[in-house]
Amino acid sequence: MQSTIVKNKVEVTNDAHTNELAFQNEEKEKRAAELLIANKELAFQNEEKEKRAAELLIANNELAFQNEEKEKRAAELLIANKELAFQNEEKEKRATELIIANQELLFQNEEKEKRANELITANLELQKAEENIRKLNQEDIRKLNEELEKKVNERTEELKSVNSELESFSYSVSHDLRAPLRIVNGYASILHDEYNEVFDDEGKRLLSIIRESAKKMGFLIDDLLAFSRLGRKEIFKSHLDLNVLVSGAVEELKRITPYHARITIAELGIISADKALLTQVWMNLLSNAVKYSFHKENPEILISCEDTGDTIVYKIEDNGVGFDMRYAHKLFGVFQRLHDAEEFEGVGVGLALVHRIIKKHGGKIWATAVVDKGAVFYFSLPK
Amino acid sequence: MENQEIQILLIEDSIHDAELTIRALRKNNVAKHILHLKDGAIALDYLFGTGKYTERNLANKPMLILLDLKMPKVSGLEVLEKIAGDSTTHAIPVVVLTSSKEHPDVERAYQLGANSYIVKPVDFESFSQVVSALGMYWLSHNQPPYNA
Repeated sequence: MQSTIVKNKVEVTNDAHTNELAFQNEEKEKRAAELLIANKELAFQNEEKEKRAAELLIANNELAFQNEEKEKRAAELLIANKELAFQNEEKEKRATELIIANQELLFQNEEKEKRANELITANLELQKAEENIRKLNQEDIRKLNEELEKKVNERTEELKSVNSELESFSYSVSHDLRAPLRIVNGYASILHDEYNEVFDDEGKRLLSIIRESAKKMGFLIDDLLAFSRLGRKEIFKSHLDLNVLVSGAVEELKRITPYHARITIAELGIISADKALLTQVWMNLLSNAVKYSFHKENPEILISCEDTGDTIVYKIEDNGVGFDMRYAHKLFGVFQRLHDAEEFEGVGVGLALVHRIIKKHGGKIWATAVVDKGAVFYFSLPK
Repeated sequence: MENQEIQILLIEDSIHDAELTIRALRKNNVAKHILHLKDGAIALDYLFGTGKYTERNLANKPMLILLDLKMPKVSGLEVLEKIAGDSTTHAIPVVVLTSSKEHPDVERAYQLGANSYIVKPVDFESFSQVVSALGMYWLSHNQPPYNA
């Protein structure tokens, strides 16, 4: 159709030229169409490029983000690594400690084994010892017992013979010493009675000294024998009403040696003791109290007791001459006297006897005193 | 002396003791006829008419025997045993007089029939009183089972 249009315009000028031109136009149009297509192509390509660029941008962003993430992870990893390193160190430390602990345990186990071995040894030894003891029980102990019994019997025999020797000695002393004394006293008495006119006053005085001395020695021997007899005597305890016993002793004393002291007896209760021996104790202590307060204007004797729990302490108090406390330790010895024999008669056995009796009963005796004010004697007896 | 009636037979080895006893008895007019024999063997001869007393009239019995225990040869206890064991003598009262109460044979003496056991006091006055009292008792107040 274009060729038709171009032929119409070129008719006026040159046909040839008109042809050329028409061709060129055609060419140009072709080129333009091609350019259009090319442009379109380019536009399309640009669009594509832009699309790619946008996609790249996005991809870059993505990459940047990913990088950041990676860095973050790296940092975290670093921290995690440090943590791990620390934990490793801790683990190593623990491991070291565990090793030490293990060694310790090992050592302890060894010690335990040692101990166990020692225990086993000890047990074995014990078993041996037990066996030995068993053997001892069966044979040696019987032998030992037999030997012991033999020894005890021997000792008993010895003691018996010593005792009987002592008894025969006591008998000899009392018999053989008393007999000549009786003769001395007796013949001196005959001289005094039947030959009275032959002697002047001095002669009579000398005779009476002989008689009195012999008499006194007789008492002394009797007391000494009573003292030694007490050592061999067994005590027989019974329940004693002490008020009855002491009142009896006071009456007996009044019968033997009249006194003018006022004696006050408190409630004394009941005690388990040997009646005869305890009566002797009270007689001796009371007669002492009477004797040593005799020269006072108003002699007073107070008898009382005190319960101390395990024992009862009896108290005999007088307002007599008392004694010097410096010599208190000599009070209970045999033949010990704290007073002038001229002033107060006695041989010095009474308190030793009392001491021995109280000791035999498991009690104690002691005394306090003030010179010229009085004495207090105490003795205790177990309940 | 053999056939003389005697009131008290004193068997005592100590002549001094015997003298004191006899004096005490006479002094208080307790007894006049006292025979002292100074050991157990002679005393047994006297009581049973043996030895130097074979001629003695055994019907004459002492009213009382005072007997010391501690004597040589035949002791007081042996004498006591013989007296108690014989029907002719066992009724005679026997008082044991001794120097001490320590004698281990006090009980034995009583078992053998002693009527009394007296410890002689050292003091002559007391001794004299004791001896007189027992003499008085056995000679004057006590009725013997036979005619003395």
